[in-house]
Amino acid sequence: MADYREAPLATRPKTLDPNEYFNLSPDYRRAEAERAALRAGLKRQYQLQLNNPHRKELIEDPALNRWVYARANPYNHFKATKKTSLLGALFGVAPLFILYYVFKTDRVCYGGR
Amino acid sequence: MLKILIPTLFLLPTTWLTSSKWLWPTALTQSMLIALGSITWLNNTTDTGWTALNSYIGTDPLSTPLLVLSCWLLPLMLLASQNHLSSEPINRQRMYITLLATLQLFLILAFGATEMIMFYVMFEATLIPTLLVITRWGNQTERLNAGTYFLFYTLAGSLPLLVALLMLQNNTGTLSLLIIPYAKPLLLMPFGSKIWWAACMIAFLVKMPLYGMHLWLPKAHVEAPVAGSMVLAAVLLKLGGYGMMRLMIVLDPLSKEMVYPFIVLALWGVIMTGSICLRQTDLKSLIAYSSVSHMGLVAGGILIQTPWGFTGALILMIAHGLASSALFCLANTNYERTHSRTMLLARGLQIALPLMTTWWFIASLANLALPPLPNLMGELMILTSLFNWSAWTLILTGIGTLITAAYSLYMFLMSQRGPLPQHMLALPPSYTREHLLMALHLIPLLLIILKPALLWGWFAC
Repeated sequence: MADYREAPLATRPKTLDPNEYFNLSPDYRRAEAERAALRAGLKRQYQLQLNNPHRKELIEDPALNRWVYARANPYNHFKATKKTSLLGALFGVAPLFILYYVFKTDRVCYGGR
Repeated sequence: MLKILIPTLFLLPTTWLTSSKWLWPTALTQSMLIALGSITWLNNTTDTGWTALNSYIGTDPLSTPLLVLSCWLLPLMLLASQNHLSSEPINRQRMYITLLATLQLFLILAFGATEMIMFYVMFEATLIPTLLVITRWGNQTERLNAGTYFLFYTLAGSLPLLVALLMLQNNTGTLSLLIIPYAKPLLLMPFGSKIWWAACMIAFLVKMPLYGMHLWLPKAHVEAPVAGSMVLAAVLLKLGGYGMMRLMIVLDPLSKEMVYPFIVLALWGVIMTGSICLRQTDLKSLIAYSSVSHMGLVAGGILIQTPWGFTGALILMIAHGLASSALFCLANTNYERTHSRTMLLARGLQIALPLMTTWWFIASLANLALPPLPNLMGELMILTSLFNWSAWTLILTGIGTLITAAYSLYMFLMSQRGPLPQHMLALPPSYTREHLLMALHLIPLLLIILKPALLWGWFAC
């Protein structure tokens, strides 16, 4: 059944389980096996780095890098939709006018109490 | 004044002429001696308040705490930078120390200036060493963008200030800070007066920064190396506050109407930037936004022009300078170990580095304005004077204080408590240098509790 062999303590994915096996098309099975082989390769890379006795730095996680970059650069992909414009107006523009009105009225009419 | 200025100036030949083995100890010793010498300025003996006065420079109870802070910070910056610069060629190290010493020189001249144009020139001059430090020694590619934002925001804000100061000089005949409080108010056409008021204030509001014009700050703080972040957070922001406090006296009758939009922006900014802090993933970015939040309170305190407001603003500026600089040093200790500013990667450090946790704890408590630290003193004075100005501000400042406590604790718990990441192997233990650095930041903060009258400015009674 392909070259896939699961890691010692991992379970076999459902689609390669012999009991489910005969319900699936051969193409689907092949695709699943390839994907599982890729995953196993990634896990192997991680384990190699984790157990490398000469490693001094952190293991680099490209997904974490992408996430951090995305959180740090929101404005590059900002689009002015109805929702974002409403939020901007509600939290960025309206409070300034409301507060100006509140403070002005309080100080002018009631003398700041 | 000369006994501080000359040694600072001669720090420049010192760095270029000492051998590479003795460069850092010599620079550190000289700057520490300058710092200890600057503490004598706190002794304001004259009745008028202006001590150490000559034609160009003088100190008064308003500028003295800020002067001592900027002098105190130079040895701390050198201590913090020693590690990450040790791998660089010796001339680059010398250049770095030269830039920091030049910045120190300009800052002393700026805070000590009695003539507004000299203050303005020094205000602009401080931009250049900071820009060089950010763009040349920063770590990420975004440092160029950060330097551009930093330079052009401040320049665009301060060009109108030059025009306004020249107009004032033309009309009043002098720009000396000793004479200007007694000069006639500037009378222009109504709309012209408003533009002139705005031109005077915008430069300092951008520098503080005020909420709408704060975009340069997170970029600059995050991309700068640790000494750049320290000096930016601790002293350069306070240049804006100091300038505002000086000019407020001149702008008086106009200010009653013109301050409203800026107070609204400042107070709303406290809440907004505090909320952004709760969503940050980058540790330095969190500390940068917390700086904007605290400076919003300072701006609010200055703009209402009451004695308590000014006093609270000055105390909060000094206390925030020390606490924020301490937090940036702590963030740098994390960065030097993991080479990443992501908070998720440096969790649970209490298990690994317990002594540093003490410093994290005290710095976080200082940031959230725990009594009896001077941070609370400043915030409370600003809060009460704002409440006197208008009762509704209490809602904003109260929510702001709550959010400040929330994100300070969030930062502490995120970095110290919780599980240690499994894949971190090589965490060098905390160096004595780092402990010394944190002690030198936080012990003055604790000592100020005992004599806060040093920081009360003109209204110490």
